[in-house]
Amino acid sequence: MRNASLVVAGSVTMAAALTVSLLALSPAFAQRAVYERNVVLTEPPEPDGTPVPRTADGRADLSGVWNKAIHQNTALPVEPLPFTPEGLKAFNDVAIIVDPTARCILPGVPRVNNSPYPMQIMQMPDRVVFVYEYMHNFRVIYTDGRGHRESWEPSLMGDSIGRWDGDTLVIDTVNLTDRTRLDDHGNVHSDALHVIERWRRISANELWYEATIDDPKYYTEPWTTGYVIPLAPAGWEIMEYACTDNNKDMYDGHLQPGSLSGSGRDGTALATPPIPRE
Amino acid sequence: MRVTGICSIVVSLAFAAAPSASAHHSFAAQFDSTKPITLEGTVTKVEWRNPHIWVYLDVTDDDGVVTSWECEGGAPNALTRLGWGSQTLRLGSTLEIQGYLARNGTNTCNARTWIYEGRTVFAGEASDGGPVPE
Repeated sequence: MRNASLVVAGSVTMAAALTVSLLALSPAFAQRAVYERNVVLTEPPEPDGTPVPRTADGRADLSGVWNKAIHQNTALPVEPLPFTPEGLKAFNDVAIIVDPTARCILPGVPRVNNSPYPMQIMQMPDRVVFVYEYMHNFRVIYTDGRGHRESWEPSLMGDSIGRWDGDTLVIDTVNLTDRTRLDDHGNVHSDALHVIERWRRISANELWYEATIDDPKYYTEPWTTGYVIPLAPAGWEIMEYACTDNNKDMYDGHLQPGSLSGSGRDGTALATPPIPRE
Repeated sequence: MRVTGICSIVVSLAFAAAPSASAHHSFAAQFDSTKPITLEGTVTKVEWRNPHIWVYLDVTDDDGVVTSWECEGGAPNALTRLGWGSQTLRLGSTLEIQGYLARNGTNTCNARTWIYEGRTVFAGEASDGGPVPE
């Protein structure tokens, strides 16, 4: 098991203090660890009871630095997925294609939210800005009632607009390419993907995130995944995480096709293996 | 509340208290979890750069033959949050790495456990899909 408190000389105190302060400042983190890291759910858990911060106009405030974690197989609670024949073929073809994020392609939606590292949300009256440490990425989600853009070409992160449903921010994303994946596990989507995200702060310390995958080319019906994103420890700021500065795995030819989830589709899985092929 | 994936739960519990140090191009695509390796050598270079740090080692075998190795570590952002810096591993010092070989057969490894100056140093986490240090 990992040994978080034994760290190199000169760093021991800092790392230990970090760990201790994380636990001390937010006891809920330790108690509620089961869903806070890496676990995919179908419905929100019971909130920890801390009050939801609100903006001046009374709306729940999503603002803050959130300690996002990897969720490798976001379809886990709803497998087997309702593939179309084309979707099943694309899923199986993952085994022979290098994961696009390994080649530093932007993760797309919703994968940007199941990738690692913190993000900062800045909520304003007419928009919500997401600043992602992972790949130094961002999203600006307008909530002023505008519709999707008419003339933009499909893009890796697509075209997103937002609206408020009570305290829930609902983001609607279309106009995506088929060049990204849904998650590390290699769940796939086509260029017909339409994503509906629902963001709700259920307590001071917890965001409940849901993504509905509506992709009629690859799935016969929409399916939904969700998880909790915990607030980051006090003082955390967004740092730099770039992909191409010294990506030796890419430059030196180490990359192999397949899933990134550790299942690898080669029997060495820690994660749940993919569903059997037909 | 429905929680699925026993494996995920165990992993989550084990790592819940620590900052993320996970990889984005995770383990399985480059490295082989059936090929563990332990290297002890002299640190010749540390590349503290995104997306992951790389540590270069000269390993001397029983016959005195020196072989150069390169091993991938965590991401600089996550390592910084764990208290690491670019000078944490000093050039010329001795380092033991327990990790896994690259699938392409070169002298390349993914470091899972670092043993440095008598301490076991954590520098990665299981959520990249690689094996968990015991």
